[in-house]
Amino acid sequence: MNERIEGLRARTRDGHFRRYRQPNGPNLVAECDRERLSWPMRMARLTRRMCEAEHVVIELDELIVFTRTLAAVPPVYSARDFAALTGGRTLHEGGQINNVCADWGMALGQGLLGRRRVAIETRTRMASAGNAEAIEFLDAAIETIDAVLALAARYATEARRLGKDDVATVLERVPAEPPRTFHEALQALRLLHAVVWLSGHHHVGLGRLDQYLWPYLASDLEARRLDIAAAEELLAEFFIALNRDSDLYPGIQQGDNGQTVTLGGLTPDGRAAVNPLTWMALRVARDVGLIDPKINLRITGESELALLELATELTRKGLGFPQYANDDVVIPALAAHGYALEDARDYTVAACWEFIIPGRGMDVVNIGAVSFPAAADIAVREGLADGASFEVILARTRAEIQRQVHERAAPYERLLWAPAPYYSALMTGALEAGVDHGQGARYRNLGIHGAAAASGADALAAVRRHVFELADVDPAELLAALDADFVGHEALRQRLADESPRVGLNEPAADNLLRMLYDGLADACEAETLRSGAIVRPGTGSAMYYLWLARGRDGGPLAEPVVGPTADGRRRGDPFGANLAPTPGTHLRGPISVLQSYAKIDYGRICNGGPITLELSDSVFRDEESIRKVALLVRTFTRLGCQQLQLNALNAERLLDAKAHPENHRGLIVRVWGWSGYFCELAPEYQDHVISRHLHADV
Amino acid sequence: MTTGIVFDVREFTIHDGPGIRTTVFLKGCPLACAWCHNPEGLDTAPQVMRSSTGDRMVGRRYEAAELAELLSRQASILASNEGGVTFSGGEPLAQARFVAEVIDLLPGVHIVLDTSGFGSKDAFVALAQRADLVYFDLKVMDPVAHRRWTGHDNAPILRNLARLADLRRPFVARVPLVPGVTDTSENLTAIAEVVASQPTLVRVELLPYNRAAGGKYAACGKTFLPGFDEDRAPNVDLRPFRRAGIEVRVA
Repeated sequence: MNERIEGLRARTRDGHFRRYRQPNGPNLVAECDRERLSWPMRMARLTRRMCEAEHVVIELDELIVFTRTLAAVPPVYSARDFAALTGGRTLHEGGQINNVCADWGMALGQGLLGRRRVAIETRTRMASAGNAEAIEFLDAAIETIDAVLALAARYATEARRLGKDDVATVLERVPAEPPRTFHEALQALRLLHAVVWLSGHHHVGLGRLDQYLWPYLASDLEARRLDIAAAEELLAEFFIALNRDSDLYPGIQQGDNGQTVTLGGLTPDGRAAVNPLTWMALRVARDVGLIDPKINLRITGESELALLELATELTRKGLGFPQYANDDVVIPALAAHGYALEDARDYTVAACWEFIIPGRGMDVVNIGAVSFPAAADIAVREGLADGASFEVILARTRAEIQRQVHERAAPYERLLWAPAPYYSALMTGALEAGVDHGQGARYRNLGIHGAAAASGADALAAVRRHVFELADVDPAELLAALDADFVGHEALRQRLADESPRVGLNEPAADNLLRMLYDGLADACEAETLRSGAIVRPGTGSAMYYLWLARGRDGGPLAEPVVGPTADGRRRGDPFGANLAPTPGTHLRGPISVLQSYAKIDYGRICNGGPITLELSDSVFRDEESIRKVALLVRTFTRLGCQQLQLNALNAERLLDAKAHPENHRGLIVRVWGWSGYFCELAPEYQDHVISRHLHADV
Repeated sequence: MTTGIVFDVREFTIHDGPGIRTTVFLKGCPLACAWCHNPEGLDTAPQVMRSSTGDRMVGRRYEAAELAELLSRQASILASNEGGVTFSGGEPLAQARFVAEVIDLLPGVHIVLDTSGFGSKDAFVALAQRADLVYFDLKVMDPVAHRRWTGHDNAPILRNLARLADLRRPFVARVPLVPGVTDTSENLTAIAEVVASQPTLVRVELLPYNRAAGGKYAACGKTFLPGFDEDRAPNVDLRPFRRAGIEVRVA
């Protein structure tokens, strides 16, 4: 990184750009009420007024501009009117479409004027068909397009006034017209993406950046308009800019903002998609070393080892990414769940890990969690009380899984999305069809997390081993111990915890139950029929549920059941493993057995994503030879047929020191569950969990 | 069926030989090196380790077939990643029959023997000839000093070292650099002289002393009494080896 980029990076990290923030934003409710605007027109007005109210900020060393100055997105209805409008309906995370990915390549390729022409053409068609709803949607979309064009024009004028002719020339071209250069493409993307945030959407993904930007870079390189170093500098500036407003982006914790990029993989027609920009994006992300964009890398069993080695260098830096997805497994699973093959090959990764289709997906990938430990616990307690066989306990577990799936999915029959005229303009086919993305997207399925599976399987395995096979534990004593949270039953607790099969050790006695839980989840999802025709996609993520399902949720409602002590010897409140990770405290041999355990899941049926999560001590990244071995481990993950992998390099001492002396570790990044965050910005309980995860990793 | 006591089976031990490896740590060691960082590997019998996270039983008796079955479940993964299984300790020579039996049940698996070299001729030959590569520790060349710091004479170690040529077994000489004990110029020069004449030497690896060595003693109910100056940085001197034309690296 040169001095200019170093400077931009430092100013971004120290919050320099926040000085431009305006104390107040536009107030829209009165205006919208006075003009009696419809909901779609209010949403268009929101985008327009936000663009109009933005102050133009250009610092003299910037080549790619836009700094957000409006901190908050105002409402378009009074609280009372909004409640009346949406009463009886399910609003997912506030109701604005989120956690999807635009068709950035299409939007760049047509330019906003191109999109506007499409809207006008469709409007003419809809006018002759008398489709008032479509006309209103298209008018709203056109209003937002014009607002972004006006914002770009103000930036261009100011750049010209400041004598920054290079920036002005770019902005006089894009995002109105298709970019001609890599620089223009990045500038256009910066503005188009930022206005999605300004319009109130969240988890705004950037998708397959190496695919849709490569043609611009390739033509620059071929024409010698740009060399590799200059291209890397531009990309670094773009990446750094994505970190400017992280504090404004909503999420569970800071960093949970869904600004993901997905690299590599296959093209829609099935060719290998890795190109020079794939490599460049990894190099630049490594050198910039900030939490955004969060990188997902699509690989296969045949991926080049050198690419995995480069990716491992990012892991070594402690960035918590890339997260790997195995195309050999993901694409067939999506295809088996109704995704067209060319769309399945074009998947990107949502905010955390779910597989979604750019431009065409409006899946709600996180409707909630199924608590496997709760399902197993209810079945175990009932079974022990009434003397049921182990087969009956398993059948009850499956029934409880099905009950939970139905309970989570049923409210989504009444799902309601707020109109999204601007975001829709960036999606595949919305303007062409005259239908908002929330209503017209090709894929509108649901996704559910099957959480804490290791602990569910461990509890069932302990019961099978000790109550049914060895008969060295009396059912009544086990019930009494569970009721007492094992107080007074420590010997029993240790026997259950230490002398039972556990997930993560490649033991069939535990892993077969793991497989059974996910098969049960897949069965339950397949049995769930929604009137909308949506399917429920079962997944293996946990989000925050690895804590919530064990402890309840502070400061928020929780629909899912919280479980107390469990038959694997786990005390009340002890957390579960995040995503696909063994129960904390399991004495593991290492990552090979963990991968072998999780390879037993039938990922052809489990397509919502959720990574195997491995913590590696940073001592394994010491030299080039070790980097190569970590890359071999990543390749092994694909060859075993696993689906998704998150690797963390951690140093427990550094984490402990960071908790005690945060001032010395402001840049320390850790993977939290689906995303990376700055360790010092996490709440203490999450800090503690990250630390204990590492202390238990034993790797 | 022979049985053995193992204190850990650890995967992805990437510093214990080529490729991705799994290391079996055998419990029990006849030496008592002052800098030993695996005190739970010293005694043969299983023992309890106590720590803030609770008590843990360390050391488990395996039948040879049982351990071989556990390892064979991942043998193909290790093989396809240029790796294999490493037997370390403790001291594998102290349980040579058991280790030999396990190795014989793992045909085609790349084997590293990580040894102090202290053991009988029979034990050493039995394991070295079953290994594809030997990691051979060399600590102190002066027999008196060796006795002082490890409790035993080094003559059996040097005799076993000399047998590697006849066995035609490639080996890596590993030298822990302990401040003031093994890292002196005289000692490193003496080590270089001994290994330079060995035709199957692959390279020398120097392992600088790590202050974490004493970390596990309390949990084992032992006191760490190094008897040397832990605070002094080890003398990482590659010259004696380079002068002898030996490939050397710091591990």
